[in-house]
Amino acid sequence: MSTFNGNGQSIPKIGFYICHCGHNIASMVDVDKVQKYTASLPGVTVSRDYKYMCSDPGQELIQKDIKEFGLNRIVVASCSPLLHEHTFRVATEKAGLNPYFFHMVNIRENVSWVTGDKEAATDKAIDLVRAAIQRVFFHKPLVKKEVPINPDVLILGGGIAGIHAALTIANAGKKVYLVEREPTIGGHMAMFDKTFPTLDCAACILTPKMSAVKNHPNITLWSYSEVEKIEGFVGNYRATIKRKPRYVIEELCVGCMDCIDACIYKEAKYPDEFNLGMSKRKPIYIPFPQATPQVVLFDPDTCIDFKSHRCKKTCIEACDRDAIDLKQTAKYEEINIGSVILATGFKTYDAKFAPQYGYGRFPNVFTSLELERMVNASGPTSGEVLTKEGKKPKSVGIVHCVGSRDEKSNKWCSKVCCMYSLKLAHLIKEHTGAEVYNFYIDMRTPGKGYEEFYDKLMNEGVHFIRGRVAEVTDWALAAEEENKLTIRVEDTLVGVVRRIPVDMVVLSVGLEPREDASDVRRMFNISCSNEGFFLERHPKLAPVSTFTDGIFIAGACQGPKDIPDSVAQAGAAAAEVLSLICAGTIELEPNTASITEEFCSGCKSCIPLCPYSAISFKEDTKKAYINEALCKGCGTCVAACPSGSIIQNLFEDEQIFGEIEGLLRFAGIDLAGSETKGKELEHA
Amino acid sequence: MDRSKLAESFALDNTATDIIEIKRRIKYENELDKGFRKKIAESAHGEKLYGCIQCGTCSAACPVSHYMDYTPRKIIQMVREGFKTEVLNSSTVWLCASCYACTVECPKGIKITDVMYALKREAISGGYKHKNFPASVLASNFFSQVLNNGRNSEGPLLLKIYLKTNPFMLFKNMMLGFKLWRRGRISMKTEHIKDKKALKKLLQSMDNMKEAAVI
Repeated sequence: MSTFNGNGQSIPKIGFYICHCGHNIASMVDVDKVQKYTASLPGVTVSRDYKYMCSDPGQELIQKDIKEFGLNRIVVASCSPLLHEHTFRVATEKAGLNPYFFHMVNIRENVSWVTGDKEAATDKAIDLVRAAIQRVFFHKPLVKKEVPINPDVLILGGGIAGIHAALTIANAGKKVYLVEREPTIGGHMAMFDKTFPTLDCAACILTPKMSAVKNHPNITLWSYSEVEKIEGFVGNYRATIKRKPRYVIEELCVGCMDCIDACIYKEAKYPDEFNLGMSKRKPIYIPFPQATPQVVLFDPDTCIDFKSHRCKKTCIEACDRDAIDLKQTAKYEEINIGSVILATGFKTYDAKFAPQYGYGRFPNVFTSLELERMVNASGPTSGEVLTKEGKKPKSVGIVHCVGSRDEKSNKWCSKVCCMYSLKLAHLIKEHTGAEVYNFYIDMRTPGKGYEEFYDKLMNEGVHFIRGRVAEVTDWALAAEEENKLTIRVEDTLVGVVRRIPVDMVVLSVGLEPREDASDVRRMFNISCSNEGFFLERHPKLAPVSTFTDGIFIAGACQGPKDIPDSVAQAGAAAAEVLSLICAGTIELEPNTASITEEFCSGCKSCIPLCPYSAISFKEDTKKAYINEALCKGCGTCVAACPSGSIIQNLFEDEQIFGEIEGLLRFAGIDLAGSETKGKELEHA
Repeated sequence: MDRSKLAESFALDNTATDIIEIKRRIKYENELDKGFRKKIAESAHGEKLYGCIQCGTCSAACPVSHYMDYTPRKIIQMVREGFKTEVLNSSTVWLCASCYACTVECPKGIKITDVMYALKREAISGGYKHKNFPASVLASNFFSQVLNNGRNSEGPLLLKIYLKTNPFMLFKNMMLGFKLWRRGRISMKTEHIKDKKALKKLLQSMDNMKEAAVI
């Protein structure tokens, strides 16, 4: 160790602590041996083992030793830095030592949990510890940077989660930008008729919240808009919002719908998106009666004037407020915000991918979402449950798990289908008095009042047949099956294959990520789990945070979720945002990279490599410049710099080489050539 | 093509019958009795039948379920789905020892033993006879004897049951019967109470009361 004091710092006095972690580490690693070995290494003043280093007495042990022995470097061998690095840094700081003189060695996740060989585990622990000891020689004191938090919030998605989060934050007096892609907020919940298990009307509980959003002085509602670009870092984001043209001036339109009546098309001709194409709308329309904002919009693909410019424009004549502007173009708004909540929701599984159920082939096979619209009073049939022939069905089959729990489509359980199928069964029975059959694999009704709802449905006389439907066919094998759809299923509880003829089939389609979820994920630089839903920072302890600070998630974009859970998550995300805002400032980790200007050649090779766009080029000096607030310390630029002019705090060359040197001793390679103690112990 | 014929050919493979017995197991809806579950649910203490969650506690608690062709759990599901013929022909209803273990343990409070009784009544009145279980013959003969004579006479009852179910058993047990008769343990006389007319009157008035109650 000839170079350890090269930077002129005081001679290191290292305190080493190894944690038993109960039996987690001690059962696989010979803690005593590691402790004794480390005590023999140069620079180590104190070496101890303790049952739980993260406990208060464990932390106090470190602090006491720092004061007593004047320790100036601390190494703790325990669990993952993700879990307790912060704990120990704080403990170190409390004893008056710079927290970056502390280093953590992971001998639980990286050693004891991943092997059954005690000897190998102990050897590896020794190697890792030696590497850490040689590394901390070169640690330098670092200072955290503080940046202020912009109190404005951007919320993406105006479904129930986005609405709830927006109202919570706005009620706390903070400014919220709510951006919704569709012409109206409300999301999927606005399409539902009733909500389980209480069967209260979805619109009755949702529309008051929608108009509260519209009228809230702290909420800027931008419907029919999308985020184009976002840049910046926690507390200081800058977003560009594209406001798509409605061809109607939002501020002037009052939603009187005179223009719709005046449209040259006397009959509605084009499929209505809100009713999933089951009813028709005109080229100028309002999605549904309670749409918020109450503003009409044009569909340029179907409007005659957009296609041929030869329309009489009766709509413009009818509007006495001059709100129609057919020359409108997309508008871009730039906003500064401090944090973002993503509540972009889900999409339902496309039942066409399950051809055995005949969706798209048989007119009387519907998806559950279509049936939701059908039972809704403002839906295409004004609340009547009717087959395509316009008749009330006498029997209806509800097929659960369409596109869920299937290796060929989506592996996961969509969580809400059992409950909404029960609700639909109840509504169908109430509307038509039909015999209703539920075909399920497992009935999953965890939740307050959910099992009771299932019990209620069973007592209403709905049939529950345990078995996954093999096919829906119109091929009649018996007289009773003529002109009906026959469901072929094993009643696994009786052990008999049955053929059940029904008039209508409802497919309970599962929930999946939106098709552009990965674009959103990339734009906001967050991760997703392998099924495509946004990934939370921790599945239990940080369920609405992401790995990017200042970006939070809520609702079904994180995974299938019912309304109560979405609202709960929205509240949680709002609380996280408010806690950021109330803190006022945030500390940034100092492990950032910086440019040594005298060595920088201005080659610009680092600039496109930075995944956080933190590097810019200073034209006046012809040198690269790293914005420390944006830098996440990934080290890509450090490795790429041809002149070695980029240095990263906590990962300086001599620190890394020291660590490597310590590790390589394992293979009998001694870079420094002077230290033989370790070797001797290996041979012993 | 004649679809019903096609269906038969799907369901029954005639060429295979001489190798092993192959039974058609698929169920068409017209083979099921849609009103059956309602009938059983409306009988005494059957109303909670619909709430069955098919947990199988009843089958596991039952001391004789391992002899049954359908376990009690399966019987409940079959009743709910209208498998009338299978249920009423099953041994389950006759094997039930009425120990009430299932009723005590059922998490949904279904009176399974009472459901079994309802099924027994259904089987007897519907003329479903299980060849190994003459219980229905015993029950109907016992009741007609008591109603007519006011008393049960074991000798004639046994004779009747053997003659109606399995006359060979009569020969097999003849010596035992003779021994019992010689020691006065069994009598071939039909016993009756003194005032049969009064009994008739009593039963008649009960029937009237029942009718009045129904009206």
